[in-house]
Amino acid sequence: MSLPEVAFAILAAVAVVTAIAALLVRELVHTILWIAIFFVDLAAIYFLLEAPFLGVLQLGVYAGAVTILLLFGVMVTRKRIFSRDAATGIGPVPALLAVLTVVFVATAFGEFPAGAVSIRAYDPTALSVNLFGPNAPWLLLLGLIMLTGVSGAIYLVREGRE
Amino acid sequence: MTTLAPTGFVALSGALLGIGIFGILTRRNFVLLLIAIEIATNAAILNFVYFAAFAPSAPLGISGQSIAVVLVGFAATEVAVGLAIVLALHRAKGTINVAEVTELRS
Amino acid sequence: MDALTLAAPFAPELVVLAGALLVFLLDVAGVRRLEVGGAIASAATAVAFVLVIADLGFAPLAGVRTLGAGRIDLVPGAGAAPLYAFSSLGLVFQGLFLVAAFLVALASLGRPSTERGAPIFYGLLLLATLGMLLVAIASDLIFLLLAIELTSIATYLLVGYTRRDPRSLEAAMKFYIVGALSSTLSFFGASLLFGAYGTTNLYAIRAAAGTVGYPVLALLGFGFLVAGLAFKTTLVPFHAWAVDVYDGAPSEVSAFLAGGTKKVGVFAFFLVFLGPVLFARAGGPNPFSGAPFDIGPVVQVTLAAIAVLTMTVGNVLALLQKEMKRMLAYSSISQAGYILLGVTIGTAPAIAGATLQVLAHVLMKTGAFLVVAAVASLGVGPLIDDWRGLGAQRPALSVAFALMLLSLAGVPLTIGFVSKFVLFSAAVEAQGLYVWLAVVGLLNSALSVFYYGRVLKTIFFDPAPAPRATGAVAGAAGPPPLAVGGIGYARAAAIGIIAVAIVAIGIYPQPVLGPIQSAASHFWAGGP
Repeated sequence: MSLPEVAFAILAAVAVVTAIAALLVRELVHTILWIAIFFVDLAAIYFLLEAPFLGVLQLGVYAGAVTILLLFGVMVTRKRIFSRDAATGIGPVPALLAVLTVVFVATAFGEFPAGAVSIRAYDPTALSVNLFGPNAPWLLLLGLIMLTGVSGAIYLVREGRE
Repeated sequence: MTTLAPTGFVALSGALLGIGIFGILTRRNFVLLLIAIEIATNAAILNFVYFAAFAPSAPLGISGQSIAVVLVGFAATEVAVGLAIVLALHRAKGTINVAEVTELRS
Repeated sequence: MDALTLAAPFAPELVVLAGALLVFLLDVAGVRRLEVGGAIASAATAVAFVLVIADLGFAPLAGVRTLGAGRIDLVPGAGAAPLYAFSSLGLVFQGLFLVAAFLVALASLGRPSTERGAPIFYGLLLLATLGMLLVAIASDLIFLLLAIELTSIATYLLVGYTRRDPRSLEAAMKFYIVGALSSTLSFFGASLLFGAYGTTNLYAIRAAAGTVGYPVLALLGFGFLVAGLAFKTTLVPFHAWAVDVYDGAPSEVSAFLAGGTKKVGVFAFFLVFLGPVLFARAGGPNPFSGAPFDIGPVVQVTLAAIAVLTMTVGNVLALLQKEMKRMLAYSSISQAGYILLGVTIGTAPAIAGATLQVLAHVLMKTGAFLVVAAVASLGVGPLIDDWRGLGAQRPALSVAFALMLLSLAGVPLTIGFVSKFVLFSAAVEAQGLYVWLAVVGLLNSALSVFYYGRVLKTIFFDPAPAPRATGAVAGAAGPPPLAVGGIGYARAAAIGIIAVAIVAIGIYPQPVLGPIQSAASHFWAGGP
């Protein structure tokens, strides 16, 4: 195995383990720790895939902002749910559905060439030209989504007069 | 130039999606549900990044990375909205356990 | 090209966006009166509707046409990969979305202003409408999904906007969880289609639907998209959330969800799945005889199964309901099944029938939920039995409701009959197994007559329960009674418009049917 393949194997294993751990540990604060490691690990995978811009974005938005948001959510609501409810009954039907998903996706990857393929690296400049050029409407839509989300969220949580 | 096998990536994103769906369907705590949704969304983002990396042509492939950038922003907004609902619900009921909120029969 | 020429085709979208921003600005500036926001929302949607109708080529409005005839139904070359395109079917859907938004905005204009909820309701309503308008011009999968998400996020917040009511927040939470799951599944499906086809452009995907290098990957992509979009469209087995959310949400929002945003999923089904269905219908040489799956037929059979299941399960469960809102929610689910028949059959008349069914559903469901809201504001309970004898006490309101229910059941001289007639005759025309889809649809229509008839009997023929206060009964602390017997002018106007439209289109459908049929055949031939 080449060095990148070993690196990927390790990073993939860490991603799966931390994702499972985040959902199964009993303390919610530990969940946040595991999910932070998961996000950082995915950023490393993006660097491995020669997508440095996305790697940095993943670190900033997910490992930074989203983790803090989740931690904030846990802290504000901790009185009632701290170290409780973190692990509830695991029904057999959802588990089956999750297994089916994995099996089906695994079938799909049988279609891909099994050997190693060289990775196509993109220059961040080319990415920004693409993002602000032909695909600019996606960013516009993202802006509208953020406007909606922020204005509604502020309304929902602010103290209103009755 | 780095070379890697695409199969491993598809297996990884499939596994992450499976874990995410499993979490969404079994966890009853809203923060855990948010985390499960994020894991599944990350599987989709990972898909776009590696389909871009293994794309047959550069002009088509690069939009995969653009989509990934947009999705990261979208997912963060979604989390913020989810937390706003959590906070409002917490204030109104004092619980964020989905199973405890049972006024509507289902 | 200067900025004005560039922006002109988006005039309806820009009007709606400007309305939303104006509502937010007035809120920041301290204008607290709900009526102002409601007036802005009604005006913005009405102006946008006029602009859309003008773009569709409605002759008297040619002066305000912003979209040249050459820009509509234009199939771009293979090299160009635009993210949006103007199709006449898309414009028809824009019109339908705006009708739903206008009716909801108008009806909620009469809300007592001491009730909880700030003018932001109308801002979110307009942003949700903007998302719906953008869905109708999408020609790219990611553009489509992001526009759907714009609508979804606005509606999560609309459902929870009575922020001290745990019932409404609970509904918002359920809606959010289901919506987030569905968007994740959709984006995952889109990523697989991107991997299989190398593009997210819907024209390209439709053209190459059957001739893809990675058939299993493509099939999985379509499968995840079916699941993701079925949540939005409330198709069985992805429907369970809808009843709780419609039940818990404020009634005006329920009307918007059932009558408006749900149709976004319908149009997305048209855009995404017509390609594989047409491939299956063509029945040409199978490009992957060696592959384990054949995309077209598998997609088509899946859609047919979901359509039949949705019609039947929705109707049977509606039969068992005791509460009015939940009965309407289940009947709304079953109606989604009829609409899905359109894309399953995949001929131009079937698409026209489904579009007409969408129009009928917009009017009937928005109207029915608005009547429920009006009746609830009169102090009548949520159970169907609570409506006993309403026909004698409230004849006008009851007759309007009866028209909506008769139309839902598909009784002649209502729009519901016309749409079902067009849809089922398209199925019969398509021959073969499609005839059986029409038979199942007809049986379901017959079944639905039972529960609608039961409601009508309760309203008109059962004696009223002994003491019932009429007028506003909210008590001393409640808002003052509204005009028109406690309903309010605006809500009465909205209900009246719907009742008239149901009968008018039912008797003389040609002015509506003609444009829809021509739009559907353009869409069928060109795409995406």
